[in-house]
Amino acid sequence: MGAAGRALARAGARLPGSAGRPRAGGQDAGGQEAEGRWSDARVERLLGAVACLVLLLIAGMVIFVFAKAWPSFAGNGFFGWFDAKGDTARQMEDIFNSPANPDAYEYELSAWSLLWGTAVITLGAVVIGLAFSLFAAIFIVEFAPARVNRVLEPVVRLLAAVPSVVYGLIGILVLVPFVADHFISPERKESVAFVVQLSGGSVLVAVAILTVMITPIMIAIVVDALRAVPRSWMEGAAALGVNRWRVMWTIAVRTARPAIIAAAVLASARALGEAIMLSMVSGSTYFAPNPIDGLTFFLEPTRPLGAAIVDNSEGLSVEPFGQTLYAFAAVLLVSSVALSLGGYIAKRPLRKYGVRP
Amino acid sequence: MNRTRLVTLLALSAALLSMATASAASAKTTISMSGSTSVAPLAERLAGAFVKEPAYRGKVGFRIFQGGSDIGITDVSRGRVSIGNSSRDPKPADPSGIVFNKIARDAVCVVTNTDNPLPNLSQNQIQDIFSGRIRSWNKVPGARVSGTIDLVVRTPASGTQDAFQNIFMGEDLRVAGSATTKSTNGLQANAIKSNPNAIGYASFNFTKGLHDVPYAGNLCNLRNAKAGTYGGARNFFMVTRGKASGATKAFIRFIRRSSKAKRITQTNWVPLRG
Repeated sequence: MGAAGRALARAGARLPGSAGRPRAGGQDAGGQEAEGRWSDARVERLLGAVACLVLLLIAGMVIFVFAKAWPSFAGNGFFGWFDAKGDTARQMEDIFNSPANPDAYEYELSAWSLLWGTAVITLGAVVIGLAFSLFAAIFIVEFAPARVNRVLEPVVRLLAAVPSVVYGLIGILVLVPFVADHFISPERKESVAFVVQLSGGSVLVAVAILTVMITPIMIAIVVDALRAVPRSWMEGAAALGVNRWRVMWTIAVRTARPAIIAAAVLASARALGEAIMLSMVSGSTYFAPNPIDGLTFFLEPTRPLGAAIVDNSEGLSVEPFGQTLYAFAAVLLVSSVALSLGGYIAKRPLRKYGVRP
Repeated sequence: MNRTRLVTLLALSAALLSMATASAASAKTTISMSGSTSVAPLAERLAGAFVKEPAYRGKVGFRIFQGGSDIGITDVSRGRVSIGNSSRDPKPADPSGIVFNKIARDAVCVVTNTDNPLPNLSQNQIQDIFSGRIRSWNKVPGARVSGTIDLVVRTPASGTQDAFQNIFMGEDLRVAGSATTKSTNGLQANAIKSNPNAIGYASFNFTKGLHDVPYAGNLCNLRNAKAGTYGGARNFFMVTRGKASGATKAFIRFIRRSSKAKRITQTNWVPLRG
């Protein structure tokens, strides 16, 4: 009786208005005690405390990363850090071999190649992925037969959860050798031999795999958004004699624009933070792929920020080197905050006729 | 009722735990080390085996820092640590009163793809190739492939990169910035295996499936490295302030004498005794 009464009272306390009302079946002392313990006010404060704890943790993490990263930025001057001059590989080696005296720590670094590599790979994957996911979502929502959908949708959601290292393995064992054998001729290699080595790991492979990685989650979000478009709006258009494609494109997709932006932001955040897979397939060279090189641009290696952190984590115990890695992390943090903000600003004017999943 | 019991249990276990750690801490001697990042992985594994030895279990603990050979030597000469790890030989400018105890040797093999079994490389050739002075296999005698030389090396934070730099390149030369830098032995070996034009370096336990290039006429293997005929090797030292004593002495003795330590050393490095 005691236990059952307590459970009942606990369940009752969660419903607004039901707290404190006597229950049929009797309130024993234990029940009242439990209700007092789990009163709405207390639960609110407790859950509020948990939520604040999360905020505190995030704030603490940001402060920690920036405090750790500060000497690297300060040692270069703000603009020097983002500069393109100098050989990043050699600079990283010098930083790693800093003398033991903290006053003589080596910080000189120009991280442009890392930033450029991150930007090129992320943008490439998000733009291609966005186009793919938009059309795939329209197909799933409007054109696919129910039988196809029963397979397609669960598979898409499953793909969104595949660990990135699996994609990395496929990339390094299949795609990188394939690109090296079929796209990189000896002449092409020689044309850039004095600047960079072409060995298969490249912008092309990185963008291809990253696209495959982030598209499923974009499809899932866009599908939910298209489904949330009020049926009557689309039926109204269909009643005017517009065909299904035009209805989807002019009504549903336009209405779902905020959600499409949200999908792009989420996918970019995932792409930005991807490290292991990119460290395996992007070519592992501090190099900023040069668009002037024409098609070779896509075959040139690079090393994005996340991959640079993973590749160098062995040297974390060397203080200035660790601080440099924290600086990479700080740039990633700022970028993801900027992305969220950018997404928020872009969504605002679209909100009036928009739906959100 | 249940709750009170639970609380009591938790409090009891916490008390027990704190007592256990307190008693363990009071009986332990701690050996601290700092220095060479190349020696650190070996030192860590040896320390792990040493604390499991029946005679020292629960009595000896380790604190291992890194920071480069010079840091280790400075730290130990000032008495900040019990052992300074060094991957370089003693220099005349080193502080006085310290003893270099040799614990192992470290060898680095130059490796190529099996399609390009180079018969030999001299130190000059290795320096030319890795510093980017020569960028085409057509200019390397004995090469079976033509076209660009693809350098596949390790990130600066790896001990192998450090060893290669010290043994083959010396103070002034650096590996060319265009080289692909891999973060692990496995990724590096994989890159060399899949590219006939590649050349790189590895500890001799990671050369399976690759061609070991003889250096100055000597094959890169355990026997030559032990005998000292293979030039691509260097010494590892544990530096102590004065002669080693107490737990430190026992540890260094363990590294040099016990078969367990030899087995650990053999995985990646060259033990002193066969």
